[in-house]
Amino acid sequence: MPDLQKLLPPPMRRPPKPGHPNGAGNGDAPAALKNGDEPESPVTDNPGKRLTTGVKDAPADLVGWVDERMGATSFLTAMLMRKIPKGTNWFYTLGSATLFAFVVQAITGVFLAMYYTPSPVEAYASITHLTNDVFLGEFVRGMHKWGASVMVILIFVHMARTFFFGAYKYPREINWVIGVVLLILTMTMGFTGYLLPFDQRSYWATIVGVNINGTGPLVGPYLSDFLRAGPEFGATTLQRFYAIHMLLVPGAIIAMIGAHLYLVVKMGTTAPPWLRADRKPKESRSHEVDAIANGDGANGSSGNGAAS
Amino acid sequence: MNTREKEEYLREYEVLKKKGKPFFPYAIMKDSVMACVVVAVIIFMSLYLGAEQGPKADPTTTTYVPRPEWYFFFLFELLRVIKPPELVPIATIGVPTIAMVLLLLLPFYDRNPERNPLKRPIASIAGIMTIVAMAFLTFLGANAGSPTDIEIDVAPEYEAGKLVAAQSGCLACHQFGENGNNGPGPKLTEIGARLNPAAIARSLEIGPGIMPSYASMAEDEPEKFSDLVAFLSSLNGEEEVAASEASTTDQSVESAGGDAAVVEPDAGSSADGAGATTGSGETP
Amino acid sequence: MKPVGYFEGESMTRRKVFAVAGQALGGVAGLAIVLPAVGFAVAPIFDQPEEDWQPVGPLDDFVPETYVPRVITIVQGIGEAGKTTVYVRRGSVDLGEDPDSYVAISTRCAHLGCPVRFVQAAGNFICPCHGGVYGFQGEVIGGPPVRPLDRFQTRVTDDLVEIGPRYSVTSQLEPVRARDPGEFTGGVWEYLYPPRPSTAAPPSSS
Repeated sequence: MPDLQKLLPPPMRRPPKPGHPNGAGNGDAPAALKNGDEPESPVTDNPGKRLTTGVKDAPADLVGWVDERMGATSFLTAMLMRKIPKGTNWFYTLGSATLFAFVVQAITGVFLAMYYTPSPVEAYASITHLTNDVFLGEFVRGMHKWGASVMVILIFVHMARTFFFGAYKYPREINWVIGVVLLILTMTMGFTGYLLPFDQRSYWATIVGVNINGTGPLVGPYLSDFLRAGPEFGATTLQRFYAIHMLLVPGAIIAMIGAHLYLVVKMGTTAPPWLRADRKPKESRSHEVDAIANGDGANGSSGNGAAS
Repeated sequence: MNTREKEEYLREYEVLKKKGKPFFPYAIMKDSVMACVVVAVIIFMSLYLGAEQGPKADPTTTTYVPRPEWYFFFLFELLRVIKPPELVPIATIGVPTIAMVLLLLLPFYDRNPERNPLKRPIASIAGIMTIVAMAFLTFLGANAGSPTDIEIDVAPEYEAGKLVAAQSGCLACHQFGENGNNGPGPKLTEIGARLNPAAIARSLEIGPGIMPSYASMAEDEPEKFSDLVAFLSSLNGEEEVAASEASTTDQSVESAGGDAAVVEPDAGSSADGAGATTGSGETP
Repeated sequence: MKPVGYFEGESMTRRKVFAVAGQALGGVAGLAIVLPAVGFAVAPIFDQPEEDWQPVGPLDDFVPETYVPRVITIVQGIGEAGKTTVYVRRGSVDLGEDPDSYVAISTRCAHLGCPVRFVQAAGNFICPCHGGVYGFQGEVIGGPPVRPLDRFQTRVTDDLVEIGPRYSVTSQLEPVRARDPGEFTGGVWEYLYPPRPSTAAPPSSS
């Protein structure tokens, strides 16, 4: 075991930043590195004791090792420890609930894809097999099917909340636009996912949906041909919808959710619109305003403040 | 928002934020509870409602009644309520596109710095109206009947006639209660109160105006035809009464048969008479 | 400070040219990926399927007074999903048609493509979706459809009626190239909803 200790590089804990000889981490490391010899003098004295400390410190060391190479701690601290304004309530969980519904869709979708055959001849039979023969098949398919409805409801309620709370106003306009794009993408998922079970409802809803796209003047007819991969519902139409449903739109949704969340963290969660900072006793208000005036206002700094 | 309002908002937000709690663990806790609720609902729906598979897709069908998933009902109903063919592109592409553009650009035309929903009545009312309109269209779309199905309650002896009416395409031009198209023909929900059975039989045979003639049915399948006439005559707009007074109406149908025999001699002039009668029936 | 190799009157240094050209190469690489992929996806728009004629029965099967439903295959190789129902009848003298011709009407509603049904008793076609109604010749008599029902070309070979490619008609029942449901035909609409290269030429106007 001591051999293993020797193999591991010495500065396992969070290293001091360059120029900080007495940083929060292992202060001996730089000196040891400078001297060029191993900082292991206690080992010979009491190997057992050294081993216990090593084991005890291992998790912290590991975090430090990873953090040194990723710099994730500051990012995570800023994201997790950021302050949420006073007065936020259950309405503020709708966004994360929508995200969670999307995660449910993504996970169940991956497992459905393992059994599904996107061919007009075999699609229906593969769904029958999946539903009736595969262990928990109907359950997983039911989760995907009803999860879609739940996600659509949540995204609409989340949007209504944002609308009525005026949360789309300055400085969060771009996040509203991204949210509407996410709504459109979600409805696109609903539409393209429809066809896949290949039952009567799927088929005719898709025919109607494609023809709705076709009623756009000038480009409409070509758009329909593109969606169907030909002038009629053909051999590759189902595969086209499958690819859009599985790869194209989910990719776009994930990218958009990333941007959406980035802006939420960056701009901060809104406070309920009926809360007013002015309603407080005068002295505390002026104190806080002063604090802000002193440049203590940026998001990052408040996050760091919470972390320290 | 001008610069002053922006600064004021940012300052106020910063104060509120200072008084708040960190995202972890407080907001995360609520989010996790909500996530549990969401997954519980999904699992419950999956177990309780299951994932039934409909009949296999059949492009050759001529009897299937296509309906979309519930969250597209409002679009579906929009297509049903916008009748004139010239407006079809507006219903299919125009309205949804305009709605999406309005939604997308909302922060750019709503420049009111106020955020409290109670203090910006126009935006709040517009929002509520939109929700009500979508809910109403969804409700209508969910209840849109099939054009081959009549849902009026009638006495058992008229069920046969109801089936004939449903399968003969009457609903294409006439409305029975909530079923069928409102036009080009008149509503038939109360036709029995306006026309006597003989007049109904005559207009079915003649087919006044653009209405097709059902004379071939009267000749080839007289039983079906008399069922149809009996059903139509029973429609007097009072469903419960129609059921309870079934016996009396039945008698009137029989007497109507007799009447028709009596009327038969002046059949030559009845063409005009029936035309006039149904004409008056047709004007809503 | 003049860079190395600079000469009087030069507006762009060699270094700058290479920097711009290098970045342009990145764009070229991007296009080289995107263009073939897009072309791959839109190619089906320009595919024209081969003309396919299918027999649907002997001449005696069809009368001028009513339609007979027949199932034909419009897309080969995908089984049930490639089939469709057509309503076939013989030309009617009363309606000014050639009694030796055959009329084959598509069951796709011209509004948005739902399956229409021919109702024998009323002699009209009814769409179950949005309330479209068509007369005996497929002309619109009610509801939102934008044009009469589509038709299929017909011909007689060896005493069998054969059904060919689909075509659309104007409100005067003039044949035009096949359109998708929801697209108007005739007049200025012919330009607003241009005919697609993937459809067959319509039969010559009779």
